[in-house]
Amino acid sequence: MIEYYIRLKRKVLPLWRDRWVWKMAWRDARHNRSRLFLLVASLITGIAAVVAIGSLNHSLQEALDQNAKELLGADIVINSNKPLPVEVTSRLDTLKVPTAADAEMASMVMFMNTKQSRLVKLTALRGDFPFYGQMVTLPPNAYEQVRNGRYAILDETLATQFEVSSDDSLKIGNKMFKVAGVVTKMPGGGGLTSTLAPSVYISLSELDSTGLVQFGSRISYSLFVKTADEKQTEKVVEKIKPMTKKFRYSYETVERRKEGLGRSFRSVYQFFTLLAFVALVLGCIGVASSVHIYAREKREDVAVLRCVGSTGWQAFNIYFIQVFFLGLFGSVAGAGLGAAIQKIIPVVFKNFIPVDLPFSISWTSVLEGLLLGAIVSVLFTVVPLAAVRFVPPLTVLRTESKQVSRRSRLKLIVIILIVLFPVLAATWQTNSLMKGLVFSLGLAAALGLLALVAWALLRLVRRFFPAHAGFIFRHALSNLYRPNNQTQVLMVTIGLGGFIIATMNTVQHSLLGQVEFRGNTNQSNTILFDIQPSQKAGVISLMKDYQLPLNQTVPIVTCRIRELKGRKVEAMMSDTTNRIPDWALGREYRVTYRDSLHISESMLKGEMQHFVKGSKDSVWVTISEGMQETLRVDVGDSLVFDIQGIPLRTKISGIRKVDWPKDPPNFIFVFPSGVLEQAPQIWVTATRVGEGGSASRFQQELVMKFPNVSLVDLRLILSTVESLFAKISVVVRFLALFSIITGLVVLAGAVVNSKFLRIKENVLLRTLGARTRQITQITLIEYAYLGLFAALTGILLSIGASWTLCRFFFEIDLSVAWLALLIVGSAVTLMTMLIGWYNSREVISTPPLQVLRKEG
Amino acid sequence: MAETVLNVENLTKEYASGDRTLTVLDHVTFEIQAGSRQAIIGPSGSGKTTLLGLCAGLDVPSSGTVTLMGFKLNAMNEDDRAYLRNQYTGFVFQNFQLLPTLTAIENVMVPLELRGDKNVQTRARELLGRVGLGDRLHHFPSQLSGGEQQRVAIARAFITAPRILFADEPTGNLDEENAGQVVELLLDLNQQEKTTLVLVTHNLELAKRTDRILRMKGGRVVEEMLMPVS
Repeated sequence: MIEYYIRLKRKVLPLWRDRWVWKMAWRDARHNRSRLFLLVASLITGIAAVVAIGSLNHSLQEALDQNAKELLGADIVINSNKPLPVEVTSRLDTLKVPTAADAEMASMVMFMNTKQSRLVKLTALRGDFPFYGQMVTLPPNAYEQVRNGRYAILDETLATQFEVSSDDSLKIGNKMFKVAGVVTKMPGGGGLTSTLAPSVYISLSELDSTGLVQFGSRISYSLFVKTADEKQTEKVVEKIKPMTKKFRYSYETVERRKEGLGRSFRSVYQFFTLLAFVALVLGCIGVASSVHIYAREKREDVAVLRCVGSTGWQAFNIYFIQVFFLGLFGSVAGAGLGAAIQKIIPVVFKNFIPVDLPFSISWTSVLEGLLLGAIVSVLFTVVPLAAVRFVPPLTVLRTESKQVSRRSRLKLIVIILIVLFPVLAATWQTNSLMKGLVFSLGLAAALGLLALVAWALLRLVRRFFPAHAGFIFRHALSNLYRPNNQTQVLMVTIGLGGFIIATMNTVQHSLLGQVEFRGNTNQSNTILFDIQPSQKAGVISLMKDYQLPLNQTVPIVTCRIRELKGRKVEAMMSDTTNRIPDWALGREYRVTYRDSLHISESMLKGEMQHFVKGSKDSVWVTISEGMQETLRVDVGDSLVFDIQGIPLRTKISGIRKVDWPKDPPNFIFVFPSGVLEQAPQIWVTATRVGEGGSASRFQQELVMKFPNVSLVDLRLILSTVESLFAKISVVVRFLALFSIITGLVVLAGAVVNSKFLRIKENVLLRTLGARTRQITQITLIEYAYLGLFAALTGILLSIGASWTLCRFFFEIDLSVAWLALLIVGSAVTLMTMLIGWYNSREVISTPPLQVLRKEG
Repeated sequence: MAETVLNVENLTKEYASGDRTLTVLDHVTFEIQAGSRQAIIGPSGSGKTTLLGLCAGLDVPSSGTVTLMGFKLNAMNEDDRAYLRNQYTGFVFQNFQLLPTLTAIENVMVPLELRGDKNVQTRARELLGRVGLGDRLHHFPSQLSGGEQQRVAIARAFITAPRILFADEPTGNLDEENAGQVVELLLDLNQQEKTTLVLVTHNLELAKRTDRILRMKGGRVVEEMLMPVS
């Protein structure tokens, strides 16, 4: 025998020079176009979500930059809870800068057209505020009228709610004001502001005449300053800054407002970005799962190619090129969709944004989306495709020949990168490694738990499914367990969207449950405050006339902390090492005095009072649990209060746990009786007002007789909180929708992926005598199971997540919104059935003979 | 003396089956000369297909050596063996093994394109014409009958003018008429292209048209029959 000793001279071409590989990729893709599109369709929604939110942030920052001065309405605003002292105003006078002012307070207003009354934010204005931007009113001259007479204008929402028109009047305090019009836009105001506190505007010169400004009234004063340029702004700041601590006021410049708003929006934006990112991660799972199935189906083709001389890398490259370019195409489509969604975004987010958002495409976000898409197309396709390299050519002879699992360096590197991807991408989106890590761990935990719940659910159902159930029910169930059916992956991807929405609903329901007033309790639902001591008897008598229960009558004394544990508060606030927040040290406290615990309270530590009559001992007060932690004090620590200028030395006798929403008002500090009785004080009463005309008449008479007394209808707060949640939930649902759509696209891909197998099954069933109706029923029931299990997976986990959030974050009891969960579950099940059936139509309607011919 | 294109020495293939070791090929030794026609016959499970796979470098033996065109396959990695197959061998399979996403002519062109050859279309057209499919160049496999698909596979096998052609039950999936046509085509091309033919078949009539028959049983070559020159 002749032996050849020739070394093989095999040329290895790099991917970009191997024309054959590119040609084969194109030829193969040409035949699988729609199928390949489904491989990356799930990527489109993920990228669209990321680009849409990125563009929103870009537009928002741009709008904030352009409208920064309008947000403040001035160059500087000085805020205080008492009129600014002459020392401050005289300094401003020397600079000759234009100023305007306002005073804001909560007050009852009676709408004379219907004789209804409501607590509103009363804003009394003086001067040319706003210096920047415009207060838009209807009619346009309404604000002018307010400035020149006894006129009032009110927020549009309030006017609509109480059907107020221009000819009507409002009773504010002791005086009647004619309605000059409505405010449709206020600089710096947004949908949320008017939801939480609808405003009525009058002239500052008319405020005193209303008689509302009395002892104990909580009024916020603002002075708006307009400067010629930034230099003058700096000069004004130099003048007012040194006295901020002394006179307890704060100031804000345009830059500080912009920074503050930017910071707030960044936090909100980051939260929304992460929600959008969830959709992208789901898309990645979808891509990886589809490519995995695709690669398995290509095993025989690869074996043929290996037989005729293709290397492992060449075979890999053929499919890699396909999925990579389709990934890019998906990214471009996703970025385009994301940019188009920009049109909808301002509508969805309108209640969160204080400025008009222009429609603009952020090319940075589009590029980011494309880059993310490219990275995803590489990372999440390499691992499932890596198996292609090792398909044994022997498969052409024996399809059952086993593929040896090999360790590939490439695969290992990519797996490491896949683990790092969410961390790095989330870090990039939030500019914080910690947030990136927490998000990634949270998402991994959520996905892991979803997978675990899905796994357990599938096993439990299989174990306990009734054996005597009808054939189509049993067969539909068994379909879920067919090899390569991706049931668990689908349950996770579809379930995650349901999980987000269900969690939001449950947390919302739990929070609302805290402020709900149940009919079978005698809990107060109305608080009357700012009652002057001289009015106390009259108000109580009026309540008795209307047979209203007097649940609480409590005195309130306003005071500040002067010293804490022997240190002056001013010194502590100047000390940079001090860890107690300035707001807690500098704020005004409204305290009460009594000797027993209220029903909403329990003693955590110490005792309620330690006061010994006649002794020279300190006054012993109790403090609420949360504030005790904030002020870093404990039983026995000393506090000196400033009660209307008089120092009062106290010691902490105990710490109370307070269930704040329960039977308000509740207090941070409670003094013992016998100490504050002579201090200037106001009174608050709490009662339970029923529905109907009597309640309305009581309110009317109260406003007429005691115009300065404010009535807080806690039911109104409940509806305000509800409408606030409604606005937030629109956004969360909008973003969760991306995840749900992604999940459904993954489902559509999986259905198409398993089409061939399903056709075979149906042919067999038809051969055995199954009718089209039965096959349709089996298909529908199979997807109903899938949807139901996916929804159950998401809902079960959402209850766990909601409990964790309620228990540890909101510190409230969990209250499950079963009806909302039922709706979420039904919607997910129905959508899954619809998508499953729609993509199976061909499978159901193909006649068996046609299938057999195709097979042959 | 004719050149040896394939040398098999003490070839053994074992598989683990549970706790046991299953010997599918047991110390098989033979050699094949250039231009000859060989048939491997035997009952199911006798090791024919395993032997073909090992000879073509589609699998690696447990022990023993296969030398194809002077190259020891044992010493090569999978990609080198693939290259060798592309350079010297052709394949025809029982179930045709055409790429479903490629047209007939594209399927035929693949081996030459893999080599980086240009203008391969002319050769592919000519070969498809020779197998009687000149008018079905752009049809996909699913649009062709079984016999037509096998003829495309034969054209693909011969496009590189292989030194050795491995055929695994080439008529196994065809009706009698198509099987006859395919056999004639295979043998004609084999003669015209002076290719060495290694044929695994159950069909004794077909085997008798080769130069030598290797009968296998229980993983061993139990009989070697030289056929009279026709």
